[in-house]
Amino acid sequence: MNDPVAFVNGLRLLGAGLAMLGAIGAGVGVGIAASGGVQAMGRNPDAAPIIQTNMILGMAFAEAVAIYALAVALIIIFAA
Amino acid sequence: MSEAKPKKRVAVKRWIVLALILIGIYAAYIGPSILKPVAPTVILPAEPIWPGVWMTNTILATLITDVLLILLAIGAYRFHKAGKLVPSGFYNAFEAIFEYLWNSVEGSSGRWARRIIPLVATIFLLIFVANMVKMVPGFESIGYLEPPHKTSIAYHPVKLFSLGSLPVYAIDPATSEMVVFDDNEAHEAEAEHSAEEEHALCELCQVIPFLRGSATDLNFTFALAVIAVVMTQVYGVWSLGPRYFNKFFQFGKLISGGVFGIIDFGVGFLELILEFAKILSFSFRLFGNIFAGVLLLSLVGALLPVVIPPGLYLFEIFFGIIQAYVFFLLATMFISMALVGHEEAHEEEVHDQEIVAA
Repeated sequence: MNDPVAFVNGLRLLGAGLAMLGAIGAGVGVGIAASGGVQAMGRNPDAAPIIQTNMILGMAFAEAVAIYALAVALIIIFAA
Repeated sequence: MSEAKPKKRVAVKRWIVLALILIGIYAAYIGPSILKPVAPTVILPAEPIWPGVWMTNTILATLITDVLLILLAIGAYRFHKAGKLVPSGFYNAFEAIFEYLWNSVEGSSGRWARRIIPLVATIFLLIFVANMVKMVPGFESIGYLEPPHKTSIAYHPVKLFSLGSLPVYAIDPATSEMVVFDDNEAHEAEAEHSAEEEHALCELCQVIPFLRGSATDLNFTFALAVIAVVMTQVYGVWSLGPRYFNKFFQFGKLISGGVFGIIDFGVGFLELILEFAKILSFSFRLFGNIFAGVLLLSLVGALLPVVIPPGLYLFEIFFGIIQAYVFFLLATMFISMALVGHEEAHEEEVHDQEIVAA
């Protein structure tokens, strides 16, 4: 507390870490997508290419949330 | 005899790997401090390749990628000209990649595939080759020395040898010191620096690399994202004419549809916002993945320098391919969604949008 600059820097890093909490949801989402995709491929191996494409697409969308969190964290660390 | 030969060769490779691991252990834990791994300095914006030059290190890496791609294209063209129908070796792999891309584009956009594939395959190959070039040793580790611009760890330089008249330095990890910057002080220091001569060697230095992976620069990914989204609109107009913009501005429904017409009108605006969100998610997805990979590699490389990094390098190669493929796949999907009119794909899409709106 004696050094306000260091204190603010520390709080900033803490905020960046908290911003990355958003990655929890994306992790769960990607896991669900992968689980569903693998189950579908196990039941119907012939349709694997289509399922794979759609699975990766869904994963990419779920991942977008984590990417936004990462963008916020990077902005907090480097830009703000 | 014929059995003994291949066995011997395998054994030689094994000894080479063991020797490399031992050299790594010596360098990281036992040897002189100059060989020890250096904690990474995180630099988000691209730095110039030399003080005062406009070109940044990521642009240089992108140019190298471009040259490689052009050589690849010329090679593939000559191969094609030579008249061999069955490709071999390197071009076989190239053809396999291209066939995979072609199948995914054709699967999602049908007869428009011939017009779409030049754009999306170019994007794929550019990102793919850029991500592979990034893995070459020397990227992000060889550069010039500069005093740090913000609060971070810096090191004393040690002279190694002279290359002609150019002295070559290495930084000594044993002499790390924290450089703390106050914002005001930093501004003053910068003013002094621009007034003084720049080329005196710094006391405490960071390495600014000559080359950095293209996708670790937000400008690169953002430019690709803007190209992809703008071309989505172009393909939409090409396919549907001015009717394409009915998706965004549903004035007809506003007049005829009553209450639901107003909702549809609002949904149209949401779709317009969605186009801009696409740019954001495109660019930050690629940038975030590659940048995080670089951070992971350098951090783990500094903490556990011997056995773990090769595995992480494999992981990075995998992620380079996956991210290029995801960018390619999303661009293809968005373009083929823009190709068909809004009415055909109406039902489920509006449903989704209403859920998002609610």
